[in-house]
Amino acid sequence: MEESRADGRNPNQLRPFSCTRNPLDRAHGSARWAQGDTIVLAAVYGPKPGTRKGENPEKASIEVVWKPMTGQIGKQEKEYEMTLKRTLQSICLLTVHPNTTTSVILQVVGDDGSLLPCAINASCAALVFAGIPLKHLAVAIGCGVLEDGEVILDTSKAEEKQLKSFAHLVFPNSRKSASSKAPNQKEEDSEQGLISSITHGVMSEDDYFNCIERGLAASSRISDFMRTTLQKQAPGDA
Amino acid sequence: MRDLQLSLNQTQRVRLEAALHELQSLAPAAAAAAAVTVADTIPVNDEDNILKGHGTSDQDGEVVATLCGVVERVNKLVYVRTLRARYKPEVGDIIVGRVIEIAPKRWRLEINFSQDAVLMLSSMSLPDGIQRRRTAVDELNMRSIFEENDVICAEVRGFQHDGSLHLQARSQKYGKLERGQLLIVPAYLVKRRKQHFHHLERYDVDLILGCNGFIWVGEHVVVGENTDKTEVKPALSTEVENFTPLETRKHICRLANAVRVLSALGFTLTVELIIETAEASVSSNVEINAMLGAEFYVHTAEAEAKRRADLLRKKSGAR
Repeated sequence: MEESRADGRNPNQLRPFSCTRNPLDRAHGSARWAQGDTIVLAAVYGPKPGTRKGENPEKASIEVVWKPMTGQIGKQEKEYEMTLKRTLQSICLLTVHPNTTTSVILQVVGDDGSLLPCAINASCAALVFAGIPLKHLAVAIGCGVLEDGEVILDTSKAEEKQLKSFAHLVFPNSRKSASSKAPNQKEEDSEQGLISSITHGVMSEDDYFNCIERGLAASSRISDFMRTTLQKQAPGDA
Repeated sequence: MRDLQLSLNQTQRVRLEAALHELQSLAPAAAAAAAVTVADTIPVNDEDNILKGHGTSDQDGEVVATLCGVVERVNKLVYVRTLRARYKPEVGDIIVGRVIEIAPKRWRLEINFSQDAVLMLSSMSLPDGIQRRRTAVDELNMRSIFEENDVICAEVRGFQHDGSLHLQARSQKYGKLERGQLLIVPAYLVKRRKQHFHHLERYDVDLILGCNGFIWVGEHVVVGENTDKTEVKPALSTEVENFTPLETRKHICRLANAVRVLSALGFTLTVELIIETAEASVSSNVEINAMLGAEFYVHTAEAEAKRRADLLRKKSGAR
């Protein structure tokens, strides 16, 4: 049953991912998140004063613009924008800067499957680099269910064509005490919960919970990576 | 802001690693341990009397960080200070900027910020020094005061409603900067101090550390009277009579390269450090253009590590 995937990964293995800090000078914060060949560039501007017409002025609002690699903006892009907006609104602290707008602009540089999770990771990293206060980090992972019920993580474009159904899951990152010197001594993974879940296709309940479990395990790896990326300091910083 | 492209050979790489490692260990231990990222809990002793400052929030009874940075505690206030924040202007900051556009009754300057700063014609002292109402003739002659691509030093007067800055250049020490170099460094390397204008007598050079990360190194200009400027004006457009002497130019280049090396290493820029680096290059007979090379880079890192170690030893020895 253990058939290896097209690029030789086992079902739980993720593609090598990387994150570049602030590649853009003019944006308040920016991040370039790459998972294999799927690369998304996210830029954050804000908080800017004033909200849109229909938004609540007692809270900050987030505006998302998604730019595809080729082609015009269509319904798919609008759907991505709405998903991202809802996800980011749940991780940001909206009452810190009321009556402001934060713009997040995403540019798809390469698309090789798992585009939405990559975009969520990139925009979360960009928000951190911009210094916008967040409740916790959003770690996104894409899970696919094959014809035989097998669950694979971080699907590539070729694999996505053969899937019966897939789910994009966004988890909050694990909380760690700031003073613990020994790493991983006590994993606080009690009730972590799920921020967003977007599913396509038909899958059984067991498959869905299976996806969530696998995704949770993988998200801890990504959140550790994010933690080390965010903690890098220059030698002279005091 | 470009990083220096350096190719270090093996021994230089080893020396650099050793110096950086020593600097890391010399950093005050409390600061290194208190670095937090988003969603880390901050240990607090008395739970009930703590004031939660910027970058913290209360979740489930615990104090959780919402920003990435170091935890600072002042009496009962706990807050998170970010390390590499973008330049955040405050009223009274000294800024160096470049003119990009002349708009009706104002100049637009580029400073290291998301929006351009605005210098109104009325916030600028006129060349003849008289305090009077700006007329339409003044507006037409704006180009004779500042043109596009001029470098200007000014002070932040306030914010406009859309977040862009309002500048003023009313005093004699502000205004157009000529005969020098403009350097762009990350804004968090320039800390706010009492003095941003430095006149280095030894080299006869002016050094202006703008809070936005723009640094000006140029020939010293005597902040003098304005009355004889109107007669000198016609000569400026054609040719400059007195050139900057070669020695001063060399000093300017040396100081500018010192700033480049220090910003590539990520050290906070202070006048003493810049002068010390320039003097170190003179004493070790490094050519000016070799200052940007690998050897001087490693040498500077080692010198800084040694200096901090000495400082720490002196402090602990005095106690």
